[in-house]
Amino acid sequence: MKNARLARHSLRMMGRYKLRTGFMMLGSVIGIAALTFVVSVGQSAQRKILKMVGQMFGDSGIVIHDGGGEMMGGPRGPDARLKIDDIAAIARELPGVEAWDPMQTITASVRHGDSADNALVRGESERWPQVWNRTASRGDLFDETAVTGSARVAIIGESVAKELFGNDDPVGADIEIGSVPFKVIGTLEPWGTDPHGMDRDNEVIVPISTLMRRLTNVDTISAAKLVTTDPARSDEMKTEIRRILRERHGLAAGQPNDFSIITAAEIRQMVGQVERVLFFYLPLVAAIALVVGGIVSASLMLVSVNERVAEIGLRRAIGARSQDIRLQFLFETTMTLLAGGVGGVGFGYAVAILGASRMHLDGVNPWMASLLGVLASSLVGLLAGVLPALRAARLHPAEALR
Amino acid sequence: MIELREISKMYKRPTGEPVVALSDISLHIERGEFVAIVGASGSGKSTLMNIIGLLDLPTAGRYSWDGEDVTSLDPNRQAKMRNKKIGFVFQAFHLLPRTTALENVELPLLYSDRRSITDLSRNALKAVNLTDRMYHRPSELSGGQQQRVAIARALVNEPDLLLADEPTGNLDRDSALEIVSIFQSLNCAGRTIVLVTHDQEISSFAKRIVRLERGRMVGDDRAPEARAVTEEAQ
Repeated sequence: MKNARLARHSLRMMGRYKLRTGFMMLGSVIGIAALTFVVSVGQSAQRKILKMVGQMFGDSGIVIHDGGGEMMGGPRGPDARLKIDDIAAIARELPGVEAWDPMQTITASVRHGDSADNALVRGESERWPQVWNRTASRGDLFDETAVTGSARVAIIGESVAKELFGNDDPVGADIEIGSVPFKVIGTLEPWGTDPHGMDRDNEVIVPISTLMRRLTNVDTISAAKLVTTDPARSDEMKTEIRRILRERHGLAAGQPNDFSIITAAEIRQMVGQVERVLFFYLPLVAAIALVVGGIVSASLMLVSVNERVAEIGLRRAIGARSQDIRLQFLFETTMTLLAGGVGGVGFGYAVAILGASRMHLDGVNPWMASLLGVLASSLVGLLAGVLPALRAARLHPAEALR
Repeated sequence: MIELREISKMYKRPTGEPVVALSDISLHIERGEFVAIVGASGSGKSTLMNIIGLLDLPTAGRYSWDGEDVTSLDPNRQAKMRNKKIGFVFQAFHLLPRTTALENVELPLLYSDRRSITDLSRNALKAVNLTDRMYHRPSELSGGQQQRVAIARALVNEPDLLLADEPTGNLDRDSALEIVSIFQSLNCAGRTIVLVTHDQEISSFAKRIVRLERGRMVGDDRAPEARAVTEEAQ
């Protein structure tokens, strides 16, 4: 009863000193906004990375790239020498390969009537839906006979479909890739934008044999993915694959690999490093901003205690106990920083939505960040309030009134 | 009602040398008295008032309230006594700025254990004739009006004792007389009043004058007939 009355009174008083309260709020607004931004964008980025990695590697995928170098996107070795037969040999010799899919890509212009679109054309085997965990949203997929017979059939991504057909159904229509006529048999399930900013719906999937023979003239593939039955054996399998490929490519000891192998386990490790940045180092920076803000608020509150010595003396004279004064100042600091925190959550979230859309991230979820922001600002408020509150409560009433 | 026996107060200067602010003050004040404590500045009158008001503790002596020793009470009990039994009026008014008269008067009630606090502050403002200034802020009130708000605040918890420390020190003569006349009528209604002042004219309205000089009590006179402000103002 009494404390509720005092709390209401304190809130009214804070409202009357808008400038002071406002400046103190800034102490948590900026830190909490940074925290909210980093946490909610981080979560969204993590979801995106996990989704992409899951799609590319699954639990037990191994991806072999043509050319040397250790990492995806790293420097490539000399000539393109990876062939479908190499992968078939690995699948034959190595136990535990559940499925595999070779891949070759070109960038080509795709046309329908007067409309044209530049798209990434992927040649794949009929096993790509299982291996890459992607499927058609409309129409059909192609089967083994289409691959052996180099059929001119294509499954087009949603961006390509929109560019060429608008809102019409593209299934069954004729298109030209480069100058080769193809029949559209289906559309790809939408995927979105990958972390490199590539629109993964601006793609066309065709049988790999058709791409290698009719669209270009190559006998090598750019990459292949193996799905293995036992993720725990991925290191061992990587060693075996390296041995088989070096043998088949006739590489002498000391010569570098002309291919690179990445396993799901290695990717998970890389993701772990990214997650550490997203959920430890970035929030740490935001937390430092919050701590600095807390210190600023604490010193503003100390100044305020010095300004309000007479008020504190009066309150003591009319019956406030030392703990009533302590509670009032603690309450004021906490409520001010909490209010700043709520504002910071709103501000940080708004910036996060903006930032996420520029970074092609979807669905920023504010709940985790809001909860964290409210808790963190209350905590900082409590900590920042302790020193001023203790000082206010320690004032001697007779001296404070002098 | 209150009894001080051989009360002394010593300070230490920052340099470490001791200062005697009060020595061996013995004073007995009964219910219904109107006492003025007078003396030059530095005579210890404010120290005495702080001790009577339980804002400060004596270094020696005994202070009892209705027979109970109050100097040994724990600070929370003393705060409760200040809240319930003592009303303070200060020279500098000490009203909260940006806060209406009504809310200022309400302040002691916030720290009380009362369940309902409505009406009490209105009635207190009515007692000092300020019903028409209830929602004014201190900056919108004259000095005399501000001090009347402070008196209403001191009265709102129905205290046994009204303690006023130089209540007219910041006021012009008319306002000062107005304040003193409020004290006189409160005293007529039975309220015990202790007033600290260095102003001879103000003290002449009290029924009893206690004189301090360099920390010692040098006089305790009861005026058979205190002057009334009403005659004086004419």
